Amino acid sequence: MVGVVPLGDVGGVAVRIVAANVQAVLGLATDILEPRPLPESAYLADRHQFDASRIVAHMAAWTDLPGHRRIVGLASVDLCVPILRFVFGEAQIGGRFALVSGARLRRNADGGEAPLDRYYERLVKVALHELGHTLEIYHCDTPGCLMQFSPSVQHLDRLDVLFCPRCFFVLRRAVRALVQAPDA
Amino acid sequence: MTGRFKILVIDDELIVRESLVGWLKKGGYHVEGASGGREGLERLEREDYDLIFLDIKMPDVSGMEVLKQVKERYASTMVVMITAYGSVETAVEAMKLGANDYLMKPFEPEQLTLLVEKLQQHKRLLDENLLLKQQIATTAAERYQDIVGISEPMQALFQLIEEVAAVDSPVLIRGETGTGKELVAKAIHARSPRRFGPFVPINCGAFTESLLESELFGHEVGSFTGATKAKKGRLEIAQGGTLFLDEIGEIPMKMQVDLLRVLEERRIHRVGGTRDIPVDFRLISATHRDLSREMERGHFRQDFYFRLNVIEIQVPPLRERREDIPVLAEHFLGKFRRETNKPLEGFDAGALELLCAYDWPGNVRELENAVERAVVLTKGRRLQRDDFAFLFRGGAPSEPHSLKEMERLHIQRVLSLCGGNISRAAKLLEINRTTLHNKIKKYGLRVNG
Repeated sequence: MVGVVPLGDVGGVAVRIVAANVQAVLGLATDILEPRPLPESAYLADRHQFDASRIVAHMAAWTDLPGHRRIVGLASVDLCVPILRFVFGEAQIGGRFALVSGARLRRNADGGEAPLDRYYERLVKVALHELGHTLEIYHCDTPGCLMQFSPSVQHLDRLDVLFCPRCFFVLRRAVRALVQAPDA
Repeated sequence: MTGRFKILVIDDELIVRESLVGWLKKGGYHVEGASGGREGLERLEREDYDLIFLDIKMPDVSGMEVLKQVKERYASTMVVMITAYGSVETAVEAMKLGANDYLMKPFEPEQLTLLVEKLQQHKRLLDENLLLKQQIATTAAERYQDIVGISEPMQALFQLIEEVAAVDSPVLIRGETGTGKELVAKAIHARSPRRFGPFVPINCGAFTESLLESELFGHEVGSFTGATKAKKGRLEIAQGGTLFLDEIGEIPMKMQVDLLRVLEERRIHRVGGTRDIPVDFRLISATHRDLSREMERGHFRQDFYFRLNVIEIQVPPLRERREDIPVLAEHFLGKFRRETNKPLEGFDAGALELLCAYDWPGNVRELENAVERAVVLTKGRRLQRDDFAFLFRGGAPSEPHSLKEMERLHIQRVLSLCGGNISRAAKLLEINRTTLHNKIKKYGLRVNG
């Protein structure tokens, strides 16, 4: 139902942790798919970053994964979008594809390296947040909710691996609709 | 919560536009994009937006030009300029032209979130402010409904209120006590361009000279014993709205000069202060006195009178519009029925006949008090002639009375109307308190209303 695709050089443990948590939280069977390369066209030489929206657009052109209703790409490069200096992830609102990068999740705000468990937790949070967007859940104001917009790792650390009751209600409906869709 | 906040992104660069639109959509905002200044202005003509993200450099119509037009035509729409590195000066220039903020591409994620939240909050406050002002204006407008009348003089008065409301000239409202001069002033305010500003009334006859000065002009700390805090006067509080000076005929001569200066110079000094404070209000004053006579007597300054009396409105006494009495009586019955929760059905014919025959020296206010008293005391479901017997204590209106008897009845009636308040009764009777005390003693009248 959900596919996790490593994009470029991504650690296998991170991929397995993300897949396990997505399956647990969303209640949808989640597969780890074969790694794929990052599209070179998404690289912005002047910013030394990858344009996340171009990567998602590249993923949207994949035609060989019809069995997966949602696909989340996992990368380790620094992501941005044209208007923002950086992003932790990107997604199509109500679409099939989402993207997460661990590049900015490895370090704390003071520049020190975050413990591995903290890093994995951040990765899971961003993956669930972006998958939330693919289920048409928007940014939320409720403190602690996974769908709050996180502009920094400190903020991300303050979130629970939980959706607030309102977002969870929308999530459950969306997941049910996904499962009940005729070609599921 | 964010669904009603509408945003337009005007940027000729497709990737920037799409990126910003996409990010804002994740926030649940209603967002649209326009590929240039011209398309942006076309969209604005068709639809209202709360916020515009506007690129400074565009090939067809520049961001600065769009900003100018937005501020001219859609002043409440907020604008954030989008600028590239190196064009901050232009962005600052845009802020001077009314832009709310600017962002330099690419933005920090936190910067964009905080900015949109801040502007949303700003919009909420503006909306709340507007709502409160509208509520205040509506409250004032509802008071217009209290000026009830179907008679020709009242129809002419309503017409005059409409005409006078449109201009900003001072108005002098004349009429006997209880005719509803303050309601007329409120109705003018509620229909005037100043209706979103405050309506500030002050009864000039209710204060001593020094207190009136402090009430009107305010005071600075230490200006007199007990002035421990600076205080704004009514002239300052009325900023942008209407100042209603009731009982203007009671203003002492010295203060007439002070007010004349204010009206000419449009600035004040607080009591004990030296600072010039600009003031901006429309003046409406009212009096039951004949100010021409007061001028002849030397009690009222001619120059001040001409300043006040640019437009004069005469509110007719109730006895000159008797056809309004049944309508007014029904209006007050409805009001007190709601307040007392009594299931009263109305007036019987005899009661209305009696009310129409009475002269109502206290005018509409006396009628209102009479209906209230009858509503409170009646035992029946309809108000009857007997419920208003107190108006004609001593006999029916058609029964002849000697002049002395008429005076006794009239004084008793006014005392009752004023709830036994000697000062108010004396004022209403236009005699001094000593004379009233003498007459009470002479006729053996009851003072407790």
